[in-house]
Amino acid sequence: MENILEVKNLCKKYNGFELQNINITLPKGMIMGFIGENGAGKTTTIKAILDIIKNYTGEIKIFGLDNKKYDKKIKEDIGVVLDDMFFPEILTPNDINTIMKDIYKNWDSKLYFKYLTDFSLPANKAIKTLSKGMRKKLEIATAISHHPKLLILDEPTAGLDPIARNEVIDIFQEFIQNEECSIFISSHITTDLEHIADYITFINNGKIILEKTREELLEDYGIVKCSKEDFEKIDKKDFIKYKKSKYEYEILVENRKAFNKKYDINTIDKITLEELMVLMIKGEK
Amino acid sequence: MLGFIKKDLLMIKSNLKIFAILLLIYIVMAFQGQMDLSFLLPFMSVMVMISTFSYDFYNKWDAYAISLPNGRKNSVKAKYLATIILIIATTIIITILSFTISYVKTKTIDFENIIPTMIGSLFATVLIQSFMYPANYKFGPEKARIVLITIVFSVAIIMGVVTTYVDLSPLIKILDSISAYWLIAIPISMILMLYVSYKISEKIYNKKEM
Repeated sequence: MENILEVKNLCKKYNGFELQNINITLPKGMIMGFIGENGAGKTTTIKAILDIIKNYTGEIKIFGLDNKKYDKKIKEDIGVVLDDMFFPEILTPNDINTIMKDIYKNWDSKLYFKYLTDFSLPANKAIKTLSKGMRKKLEIATAISHHPKLLILDEPTAGLDPIARNEVIDIFQEFIQNEECSIFISSHITTDLEHIADYITFINNGKIILEKTREELLEDYGIVKCSKEDFEKIDKKDFIKYKKSKYEYEILVENRKAFNKKYDINTIDKITLEELMVLMIKGEK
Repeated sequence: MLGFIKKDLLMIKSNLKIFAILLLIYIVMAFQGQMDLSFLLPFMSVMVMISTFSYDFYNKWDAYAISLPNGRKNSVKAKYLATIILIIATTIIITILSFTISYVKTKTIDFENIIPTMIGSLFATVLIQSFMYPANYKFGPEKARIVLITIVFSVAIIMGVVTTYVDLSPLIKILDSISAYWLIAIPISMILMLYVSYKISEKIYNKKEM
């Protein structure tokens, strides 16, 4: 399968924080969810992929091309939403169209205005008068109106209400209908990713600690809830992490079915990404 | 490239109402003889362009600009080209207004006074902007303002000290003797200043972490 994004041994040092040997592979036609708590290194990784930050080491290839050497060619085919609001707020959505049609070769004004209508965004109002959710929708509309092949989205659903989030997720699903297109999406709203991501990459403290398909994670992984007595019977190598709560132990296991066969403990549930994140970060071994 | 220039010009357009009102007040003041319009040129074009830096900074535009095709290269270039367009437009408007006011007041156009003042203002505009832009890219708009004020005050103090304690008449004589070349020297030096400033800004921007 052709890879649309490849990151190899990406490292970047800041005072007090370090990205360490980040490796990411996103095949064509897939959605990768990039999860991790705030400050884990999601935005830094995205900024390195887009060559926004400097002095990082490692190799980054997009569409099989080096991200620095083929910067212009690559960026013609990428749609981007960054975590902060980035449009000058005195401009209007109409102005954004005027600007973008002279920046992207494939800018599609008709498609852009269709999205504005679909999202009920006013074309002539200054961006500063729009709500946070509306601004995010404008950024997403802008990111997809030049028919990109790859969307790189940093927390695109942050600050959106459930209805707006749903609308946005629908747009991403529509976008991915074209099998040439892929999405790399960072989020800490893990429920969104449970619906759409094919792959989940988990970053913690500047390191990738997990990279699995969604099926592997949600079907194979499990969360065992048991008493202290039961927990003490479990072999350490049969679980990844555990967390002690007031009344019970929560244990993260890699293979629910195998665990179930080995131990006589009935409360094994499928895991949610949120539970996975909490156990991976806060859990003990 | 055009898209980036349009972005700056559209931002200026959004604030046009405020500048039109200011201009109107100054025109009235010029008619009453309280103000020379040519001084408006540096004031307005510097203010207008610095406001675009502020919006870029507070809206974190630069990181996004770099994610666009040729963004790192074109952002800085576009800022300087938008500046040149703005300076030309303001110069034309202020010159026409100055001529009109002069004609309405005296029934003649005072070329001898207006043109040298305009050239001086134009030079001051380019000089300020050539210092301001690299400072803006390096330190951000807030600190760049402090840098500008420091430069202006330092120059004023140095000039004050020099003119008090040093006899400048030989220098003035030399400048007078070459006054015929000023018409060429001033535009060339303005282009040179902007070019050097652009190259410094470009270097800062290329190394900058957004």
